[in-house]
Amino acid sequence: MGFFKSKLKRFNRDNKQKKNENSEHELRIDELLHRCKESTDFVSYRYSESSPFYIHYYQTIVEINILHQYVLPYINENKSNTLFDLQQAIPIDNTEIIDNVHEIRDKLLTGCIVIEVKGSLQEALVISAVSLEKRPVSMPEVEYSVVGPKEAFVESIDANINLVRKRLPIPDLIVEEVKIGSLTKTRVAVLYIKGVTDEENVNTILQRLNDIQFDQIVDSSFINQIISDNHKSPFPQLIDTERPDRVASVLSEGKITILVDGSPHALTGPTTLVEFFSAFEDYYLSWHIASIFRLVRLFAVFFSVLSTSLYVAVLTYHYEMIPENLLNPLIASRSGIPFPPILEAIILELTIELLREAGARLPTKIGQTIGIVGGIVIGTAAVQAGLTSNVLLIIVALAALASFTTPVYQMGNTIRLIRFPFLITAQLWGLLGVTFCFSYILSHLLKMSSLGRPYLAPVYPLRLADLRDSLFRLPFFMQTKRPLQVRSPVRTRFQPKKHEKSKIDIED
Amino acid sequence: MFPLPKEDKMVSPYFVFYLIHAMQIGVGILGFERVIVQSAGYSSWIAILTSGASIIGLIWVSYRILNKGNNDIVAIHADIMGKWIGGFFSFLFSLYFFAFALVVLRSYVEVLQVWVFPEVSEWIFVLIIIFLSYSYVTGGFRVVTGVSYLGILYGLPLLLVKFYPLQYADYGNLLPILNASPAQLFKASKEMTLNFLGFETLFMFYPFIKDGPKSEKWAYFGVLFSIFIYLLTAFVTFVYFNQEQLKGTIWATLTLWKIVDLIIVERFEYIGISVWFFTILPNICIGLWCASRGLNRLFPVTQRNALRIFCLLLFFISILLTDRQQIDVLQKAVSQMGLYTIYFYLPCLLVLQYIIMKVKKG
Repeated sequence: MGFFKSKLKRFNRDNKQKKNENSEHELRIDELLHRCKESTDFVSYRYSESSPFYIHYYQTIVEINILHQYVLPYINENKSNTLFDLQQAIPIDNTEIIDNVHEIRDKLLTGCIVIEVKGSLQEALVISAVSLEKRPVSMPEVEYSVVGPKEAFVESIDANINLVRKRLPIPDLIVEEVKIGSLTKTRVAVLYIKGVTDEENVNTILQRLNDIQFDQIVDSSFINQIISDNHKSPFPQLIDTERPDRVASVLSEGKITILVDGSPHALTGPTTLVEFFSAFEDYYLSWHIASIFRLVRLFAVFFSVLSTSLYVAVLTYHYEMIPENLLNPLIASRSGIPFPPILEAIILELTIELLREAGARLPTKIGQTIGIVGGIVIGTAAVQAGLTSNVLLIIVALAALASFTTPVYQMGNTIRLIRFPFLITAQLWGLLGVTFCFSYILSHLLKMSSLGRPYLAPVYPLRLADLRDSLFRLPFFMQTKRPLQVRSPVRTRFQPKKHEKSKIDIED
Repeated sequence: MFPLPKEDKMVSPYFVFYLIHAMQIGVGILGFERVIVQSAGYSSWIAILTSGASIIGLIWVSYRILNKGNNDIVAIHADIMGKWIGGFFSFLFSLYFFAFALVVLRSYVEVLQVWVFPEVSEWIFVLIIIFLSYSYVTGGFRVVTGVSYLGILYGLPLLLVKFYPLQYADYGNLLPILNASPAQLFKASKEMTLNFLGFETLFMFYPFIKDGPKSEKWAYFGVLFSIFIYLLTAFVTFVYFNQEQLKGTIWATLTLWKIVDLIIVERFEYIGISVWFFTILPNICIGLWCASRGLNRLFPVTQRNALRIFCLLLFFISILLTDRQQIDVLQKAVSQMGLYTIYFYLPCLLVLQYIIMKVKKG
């Protein structure tokens, strides 16, 4: 029975691979071995003079103990000369006899031992013995949270699926795998919960993944950029996260997750702009606190984007707007400055960017030094030298701080980037310039979509039901429905139990 | 011949509220008080109510026409009057929407020049605003609806600052309540109607509303909300200024922003005018969208190209209008055009449609 199954599998796979075969047809097994032998880590030998079996493998990706303990002894004992008998004898599952050379090659290159019998040109026994280097599951570093699980994804896709599946032990959690990249042959898995996720979304993702023509997929961010709806946009259109708990929760909301082998970041979508400002820790805190934190983050975004450009606009054009009592400190701090506000602002903004970039590239321990040098030494020195004003230094530092409150790293970068156009328009047309720039970005955001779903939802199109978990987070018993954004066929998440609020007197 | 738009290009019925309201609040509200007060004094708030009521009646008329035709004005015209005459009237409509956008754009730029940047020449602002409108309109009707919705949201906080002038209010200004003859009130109503113009764009975007007939109540709500805003604005202005002073104030609402005294902002009007841009932008976008859509339905030209043509026209005509007089003439001409369209043409169209449908059936 098992044999037939594997035959059926082989048949299916053959069909899939027909395309490949047409391009490089008629590869013989000896040619393949000849090619492999060019690498020094390829091992190929005959077991013994008397034995008919040849053994081939890449020693760098094979767990050598499997060969020693479970394969070689049985070759020794086995008196029969056929691969089939050997397959029966070896106490390892997942062995296959394959007669397709292309398939043999793929298996060989992904960590299998290939055993060939003397005289047979096309058939070989393939024994899986992969040995992959992977690091253990560690703490989340990009999306750290004070409370909640401390597990983060690692570079192995199997370990990552394991982390998700143990949180969602249901057969409806489907993993669909595709191989992408003509050189890297990266395994890319699409995870979703059948029945909860909209089929159209799944098809969109699978379609886009299958359409990818690229030689190397090294990280999930490659996929993120390639399959995004709007390639010209600086805004990320899928959330990347390193938290398995976030992925599990997002999946049960009816969204889709993409995992890429070799990447410790999962992609989830379809998503909205406001979702980029929700940290997963929000769900671990009480809803009042979580809502306030979200509003603080939203304020931080606006502050980060607008504060320096407003400073430039007001000081360049609309100084009448400054109230009398604020005039004194402003004049005192700006009186000796030799530059116009725009130059002052750009210099400081660039300094902050410089510090951030240097801090990100340097090892952690030196990175801290950079923070101290930048924050204290350069800042104080710049003010004392009379190159920048105290007020602007405070504003720029706060704006930089505010931009780091965004929980998703990619969005934080975007926010820091878009304040430069604001600065320039503020210099050109003052407050109006800021408005113009803002409305241009708004037009861009209105046109954007994530997997074909509107990006600005639930604000526009207005979905009051989705507002429950967007700009603020209402308590769990009010979150009985899945967001409209994902178009889940089953909108109800759970049936809320009627709270029996019978009139109980104080001391009853 | 005139296919309906695809389902995924449509918007929900309740957005009609925002679309209609966004069209009715534009540049006019910054200075309408002086105009109506010149006609009917401080009793002219009644004119706001009467002209608002007439607009509600006209929206009823519009929905009767549209529900029966179940398409936009171009298709309805073609049904009633045939390809050539109907097409001619549709073309006029298209031009009217364009002229509407032109007036709004030019008036706003004038405000900018007078209040914020006297030294910057107008073509720069005209160019930027046209560029922004273009980027919205190319997003399609859903994006245009989005900007009218968000524009109203951003504009609403400006209502809060009406509180400041009320601190210096003299409520006695409003007395006696009825101090104008019916003729004066009629004249004021007529002038007030100009501010309510813009709901005619309904004739162009009606097919883009999911389940059009259901949107009727939202259209009424939109007008009611506009009436409320105008009444509130007029009320605050009337109690702050005395009548003689108001007659000499061109932009009363703008002037009132000067009264605002926040702790961190001394001169509020700069912020006000900047935020007001989000109220102006939907007007221009909807106007341009309707105009280009009309052209696209009439002639074998893509809507994108039609939009480009109108944008170019908008730019050149705007910079040709240099002084106050010319802008005034344009404003008057467009308002007259709008006035006759809504009060005479629409009822005629209703009757004509009724008769011709009857004849065709018979």
